[in-house]
Amino acid sequence: MKLEIGRIHIKDIQFGDSTFVEDGVLTVDKAGLIASLKEDERIKDVQVDIARPGEKVRIIPVKDVIEPRVKVEGTGAGFPGVTSKTTQCGQGRTHVLYGAAVVTVGDIVGFQEGVIDMWGEGAKWTPFSKTYNVTVDIQVVEGLEVHTHEETVRLAGLRAAEFIGQAGKEVEPDEVLTYELGGMFEETAKYPNLPKVLYVEMMITQGLLHDTYIYGVNAQTILPSVMHPNEELDNAVISGNCVAACDKITTYQHQNNSVILDLYAQHGKELNFTGVIMVPEHTTLSGKLRVADYTVKLAKMLGADGVIVSEEGYGNPDSDLLMICKKLEDAKIKTVLITDECAGRDGLSQPLADTAAEAVAVVSTGNVSHVVTLPPAEKVIGNPESIAVLAGGWKGAVLEDGTMMCELNAVIGATSEIGYHNVTCRLY
Amino acid sequence: MVKEIERYGIPIVHMATITTISESVGANRIVPTVAIPHPVGNPQLNSEDEHALRKELVNRALNALATEITEITHFE
Repeated sequence: MKLEIGRIHIKDIQFGDSTFVEDGVLTVDKAGLIASLKEDERIKDVQVDIARPGEKVRIIPVKDVIEPRVKVEGTGAGFPGVTSKTTQCGQGRTHVLYGAAVVTVGDIVGFQEGVIDMWGEGAKWTPFSKTYNVTVDIQVVEGLEVHTHEETVRLAGLRAAEFIGQAGKEVEPDEVLTYELGGMFEETAKYPNLPKVLYVEMMITQGLLHDTYIYGVNAQTILPSVMHPNEELDNAVISGNCVAACDKITTYQHQNNSVILDLYAQHGKELNFTGVIMVPEHTTLSGKLRVADYTVKLAKMLGADGVIVSEEGYGNPDSDLLMICKKLEDAKIKTVLITDECAGRDGLSQPLADTAAEAVAVVSTGNVSHVVTLPPAEKVIGNPESIAVLAGGWKGAVLEDGTMMCELNAVIGATSEIGYHNVTCRLY
Repeated sequence: MVKEIERYGIPIVHMATITTISESVGANRIVPTVAIPHPVGNPQLNSEDEHALRKELVNRALNALATEITEITHFE
């Protein structure tokens, strides 16, 4: 499977009468975008705004972040199975408005959303302070059931990304990246002496608005599934998660999964990147046991010498992570875990909910409980009071002058367990 | 809490969904339960069947309390 990602570098965003890119400046037809989103009758009102790196702007509560893209060759237009008909993702050519992002904002439904500060202290902690953001703040009509409410807002964000992505259709990209991986036997014949390394990506799929979708299928309903890495890089996976903001994998982070990109970079050099196994995180013990056994079985069938496992969320999924680790190591497959830590505000508490002696290679992506103080913003997009009900926030967290305190828990992407950020924990 | 109560000499049973965590925190009498959002219930059952399920789980826990053990024991 071969995928070309054509990056069009975006250096600024402005509003205008039509949507296009010229000299790296993205112009967005604001009225057209709003009219397009309002075609969904469940949407009452849409506020569209721009937040640029360095501006004293706070966005809260953030539900999802999405990279605007357009398919220019091959199947897989839009978000197949979600906003468009189901077609194969991962091949052909996709143009990306690189450096731009759509940020979905809306009323709290699942109360675990997040904050993005575009400047200063807050900007240090979130990767989405460095993107040129188009924010879509969605109000839905009254009386929608909570799941429908959430779905409406999420879909609006995805559709906004599609609408804006169209601007890249006729533009010559600044750079073209090629991601190509043949069949497993073919790649192994090419690199017989390199270790076969699989990526196991755990996804939050716990119901109650905590779900991840693959081609529109709620991953809660799947057994662990083998995917070609290109599919994830090409819009097959979307976030539907109202979980702690710091380590939810936003749709943007699926589209740019750092573990996949890093494994690709080493493919044929240090290792043979054998594929991705998508693993749901269940709320039942039998679900966790079944998933762990099934994942290990797939890894053995695929002849893996090594596996990298990334978690999503923390708490009960820590036990899934360690079950998978223990069983892989017992099967003599070398295993590296990527997880954040919930180590208390002083960093002294037990960092994971579960332990296993087999977990000997663990990459920490930061302490979710670390408290940060964010100075007052000149402009707030969304609703600053929502920090009182966000995970990582508390009532009274916003002072009179607009200063806000929160744990990293509430900062989007602050402790990303796929490594899409720069934080770790160090032992002193 | 489970460990401290037991240390004081009172028998205790840990009813939990993720029994690997029960073991790693040092519980000795463990009753596996249904799911994290509803440990001792199951909203998919009708109310009669759910009542039976809850009663059965509590009975199992009481039996566990009354059972002498010498090592970590799951009451399934």
